[in-house]
Amino acid sequence: MSSGYKPDILWSPHHADRYVICDTELSLYRIGPAGSSETKAGALPLSEETAATLLAINSDTPYMKCVAWYPKQEPECLLAVGQANGRVVLTSLGQSHNSKCKELVGKEFVPKHARQCNTLAWNPVDSNWLAAGLDKHRADFSVLIWDISSKFSPEAVPAEKVRLSGDVDSGLVVTKPLYELGQNDACLSLCWLPRDHQKLLLAGMHRNLAIFDLRNTSQKTFVNTKAIQGVTVDPHFQDRVASFFEGQVAIWDLRKFEKPVFTLTEQPKPLTKVAWCPTRMGLLATLTRDSNIIRLYDMQHTPMPFGDEVEPTIIERSVQPCSESIISSFAWHPSAQNRMVVVSPNRVMNDFTVFERISLAWSSTTALMWACGRHLYECTEDAGQGVAAAEKDIATKMRERAQSHYGHDTVQVWRNHVLAGGDDPQLRSLWYTLHFMKQYTENVEQKQQSNKQSLIYSGIKNIVKSSSGTTETRRCWSGSDRQTDVPWYHSEERSLALQLCGWISRGPDIDVEPFLKSLEQEGEWERAAAVALFNLDIRRAIQILNKGASAEKGDLNLNVVAMALSGYTDEKNSLWREMCSSLRLQLKKPYLCVMFAFLTSEPGAYDAVLYESRVAVRDRVAFACMFLNDAQLPRYIDKLANEMKEAGNLEGILLTGLTKDGVDLMESYVDQTGDVQTASFCMLKGSPGEVLKDPRVQCWIENYRNLLDAWRFWHKRAEFDIHRSKLDSSSKPLAQVFVSCNFCGKSISYSCSAMPHQGRGFSQYGVSGSPTKSKVTSCPGCRKPLPRCALCLMNMGTPVSSCPGTGKADEKADLTRDKKLAQFNNWFTWCHNCRHGGHAGHMLSWFRDHSECPVSACTCKCMQLDTTGNLVPSDSV
Amino acid sequence: MELHILEHSLKVASIAKEGIQICTHGLIKLAFLPSKTRCKFFSLTETPEDYTIIVDEDGFKELPESEYLSVAEATWLALNVVSGGGNATSSQPIGVTKIAKSVIAPLADHNISVFMLSTYQTDFILVRERDLPMVMHTLSSEFTLLRVVNGEAVAANSTGVTNGFVKPKLGNHLPRPIIHPLSSPSNMFCVTSLDPDTLPSVATLLMDVMFYSGGAKETGGQSEDSGHIRFFSFSLIEGYISLVMDEQTTRRFPNNVLFTSASGELWKMVRIGGQPLGFDECGIVAQISEPLATADIPAYYISTFKFDHALVPEENIQSVIGALRTNESTGQ
Repeated sequence: MSSGYKPDILWSPHHADRYVICDTELSLYRIGPAGSSETKAGALPLSEETAATLLAINSDTPYMKCVAWYPKQEPECLLAVGQANGRVVLTSLGQSHNSKCKELVGKEFVPKHARQCNTLAWNPVDSNWLAAGLDKHRADFSVLIWDISSKFSPEAVPAEKVRLSGDVDSGLVVTKPLYELGQNDACLSLCWLPRDHQKLLLAGMHRNLAIFDLRNTSQKTFVNTKAIQGVTVDPHFQDRVASFFEGQVAIWDLRKFEKPVFTLTEQPKPLTKVAWCPTRMGLLATLTRDSNIIRLYDMQHTPMPFGDEVEPTIIERSVQPCSESIISSFAWHPSAQNRMVVVSPNRVMNDFTVFERISLAWSSTTALMWACGRHLYECTEDAGQGVAAAEKDIATKMRERAQSHYGHDTVQVWRNHVLAGGDDPQLRSLWYTLHFMKQYTENVEQKQQSNKQSLIYSGIKNIVKSSSGTTETRRCWSGSDRQTDVPWYHSEERSLALQLCGWISRGPDIDVEPFLKSLEQEGEWERAAAVALFNLDIRRAIQILNKGASAEKGDLNLNVVAMALSGYTDEKNSLWREMCSSLRLQLKKPYLCVMFAFLTSEPGAYDAVLYESRVAVRDRVAFACMFLNDAQLPRYIDKLANEMKEAGNLEGILLTGLTKDGVDLMESYVDQTGDVQTASFCMLKGSPGEVLKDPRVQCWIENYRNLLDAWRFWHKRAEFDIHRSKLDSSSKPLAQVFVSCNFCGKSISYSCSAMPHQGRGFSQYGVSGSPTKSKVTSCPGCRKPLPRCALCLMNMGTPVSSCPGTGKADEKADLTRDKKLAQFNNWFTWCHNCRHGGHAGHMLSWFRDHSECPVSACTCKCMQLDTTGNLVPSDSV
Repeated sequence: MELHILEHSLKVASIAKEGIQICTHGLIKLAFLPSKTRCKFFSLTETPEDYTIIVDEDGFKELPESEYLSVAEATWLALNVVSGGGNATSSQPIGVTKIAKSVIAPLADHNISVFMLSTYQTDFILVRERDLPMVMHTLSSEFTLLRVVNGEAVAANSTGVTNGFVKPKLGNHLPRPIIHPLSSPSNMFCVTSLDPDTLPSVATLLMDVMFYSGGAKETGGQSEDSGHIRFFSFSLIEGYISLVMDEQTTRRFPNNVLFTSASGELWKMVRIGGQPLGFDECGIVAQISEPLATADIPAYYISTFKFDHALVPEENIQSVIGALRTNESTGQ
């Protein structure tokens, strides 16, 4: 026997835990959980969870070519084996000597002329019938249907002519088939059709797929195709058949058997097995020779039959059940979902489950859903008390903020961060920045109508770029006349920047005292001290620290710091300097740290202060505005702005302002957080310039509106729209009322509303613009015509000026009227009582002379029911 | 009925017995190592006179040029009759008999020379490539003609060419006279096949049978029995193996390797021709097959380079000889 036999695998049709591997012999295995008491020591592991136990081996039947498992419950383990010489032998595995089985086991079915048996199939209903497909013989049939219950018939072949080598005398040889089909032709594959068990689908050598009906074998349906190496019927869709040839799989619909419904993409190597998944609709697995992957085709969503012009939607994927080894064959588990066992040429088996692709969807609230196979999972946020506000999902945060009117305080802009919960330093910085910008804009407006406004909203980065006339001074430490060697810069723009940073309230004097006071109030002692120090007021700094130390819950260490501070000397090589510059790094509080950094730095080299990321951006920027020269400052600001942009840190809005840069920054913030709410509100605060037209900004705004709608916060959404229209004059109130189509129920402005700007520049009742443009006389959704005007009998959407229904005078008048009225004449109007209506212009002119509805036999007094309808347009009188 | 015109372009060659050793390399490759060549059609028939090789162009390249190798000048195409309708008729005319009336006789009537090769699986009718238009014209009324191109059968249409010979009158039912002398060797033959997977296991035995029969005279003992004929045919066509061999030779094979029919039928040979027949004479196959078809006797027919061989069931040999003798006499 040749060693070229590759093992094949067969699941028991009734015992979900048994399968047979056939190569040169038949081996029955039982599959069970790994490590359980049932599995013996000799069990072969199939996967992490399962193992197989060898139950029985049968090597009685050499020259095996194909095997088929008896489809009925009883006898349990009866197999038909097709041999290389065309004989079909019934055999059994691991059976106790069951009487029913015994009668059948060993029975042989012998064709008249020996040739290879290619395929076997039991009839699913009449299980005595076994179809065998054989190679061709010049004078014999290739499909023989045997009745396994038939007895040996000695009269069929004269005894002296029988020169068989086998056991003829045992009376177990049957030579007379029940049916013979397919003369001078080979049968490579066959299957019974589950819809009608008398029908047999054959794949023959002469490039035919044929369906025979055993009730009338002279008639057959056949189709020429190359795809004849194997046929298999979809168990879930009994008219769907897959057949293959070399690398090609053709899918057939038996109801349209002229040509394949479609063919799958050709594979470079010849296919060896094609099998429909018995547990999942429309899943076909294919295996090619010498391959370690199984290719799966998902046709679940492929309509059957489908039109020729539609490209079938087949999802193709491949799985690799055992990492390296080549797969010899595989078999789907009959009942476990998407499970299969694969076997390699050296009989290594693997239990494997094909995972369904997971589809996943976020809800507009925090929930997340995913589906896998037949399971649906939902993941929701833990709404327990212990969850810190900062850890909440952004959707929850936005909902809470929307409910607390976040973003709507336009007077005290900074308060918005409190509305947002007051616990996010970035939002705090953002809203303060916006607050200062707004405040300064107002100040400017009062004083001079300059175009500084736009400059302010363009951020410090642009402000310092425009800086000119910087003066450099050497200031004294306040309270002493000791000259510092620290250069100190001043200009109008720098002072504007300081205002935006919140250090000074209004220029040009540099008076930080109010700012210090407010910091003291908030208990930000270190920050206040640092600000005081940066304004060269050591005394004030010490005073603040003392105050901090003595305050309630004050940190006594502040006193120590104050002491250290008081020892300041500007001598370059003093012990104080040396100690401070090294020990400052151990200070935990960033502001204290930068104070000493400032005092110990060389003039102009303040990197220790400028790049201390724990210090608020506004303070670092303010510091830079005072101590960096015109060359250093823009460089630093640029660098910092880029850092902020990359990090999506909202503190950077101070630098970028509400410019395109700002949008970039906000984009990276939204990418990280998903907080379209803050983005929308923030960008609306900006001057109504290019920024608002940026598609990203529009996208955030639309998304936020959609979110509000999705949360059913209709009122909040309305409020937001109002807020938006106040700040952005270009956004007009959107259409709130739509005309819906009688047929499909969709708004007839549907196609227009699909555009990004809902209803923008779009007239209210769907008929847009000038009469010449309004050509929409059918619903854009379903293409059904719009209703007709009761007067002109034209479909609505037909411009009124072209309607012959109106009087000549009116028509002329129409042309002379201004455009606005012409638009109105095209509007849809109808009576809410009798539901008759038409063009607004026609209706108006009708009711000028009539009181009843224009529709004949309708006595509705439409106009009198309308309280405003009696008002006549002022210009038509 | 469908007539498939296969895509193989075939060469018919003869290797002289004494020259066989220079060809064995190529022949072994063609017969036993099909994966090493692109050859799809190979047949080797040993007769007492020579070895006849029928091989497609890819396979022909494997054979060396030699004085011992003589090649018929034409390129041949194989025709194959397929019962496309698949009517499962109960009466089974076997082999050449089935196509004698429908293919062979009309071709003979149109003076088209044919070369027959019956195998275990089917019958091939070889015609010269240049005769194809005429063949198609002749057979188009009876068959659906399909031409195999790249493994796919496509409809082929008759071009309506005739070779100038006058069509014989229809209704001419006169028996065809048998022109060539006939002989019937005494030994019996098996027509069989084997599973290609088991071919390697019997390859050495087959090689022995194919190439060393001449030396092994004592086994055959043909020297003492003049009625015995040395005849062996092996073909490997599109993956299918077919063998025709002496009954004695079959005994040398292990059990269950050779495919046997359930009835274990044996065949006797009718050898046609006293001197080499050549390739141009037409009607030889028809002369033999028509009487057999009339008598409903199944037959195999294998043409070789020099002579033709018909195989008939052993129990029918007397009636065959009877039928043919009748024709012979009427012919003379």
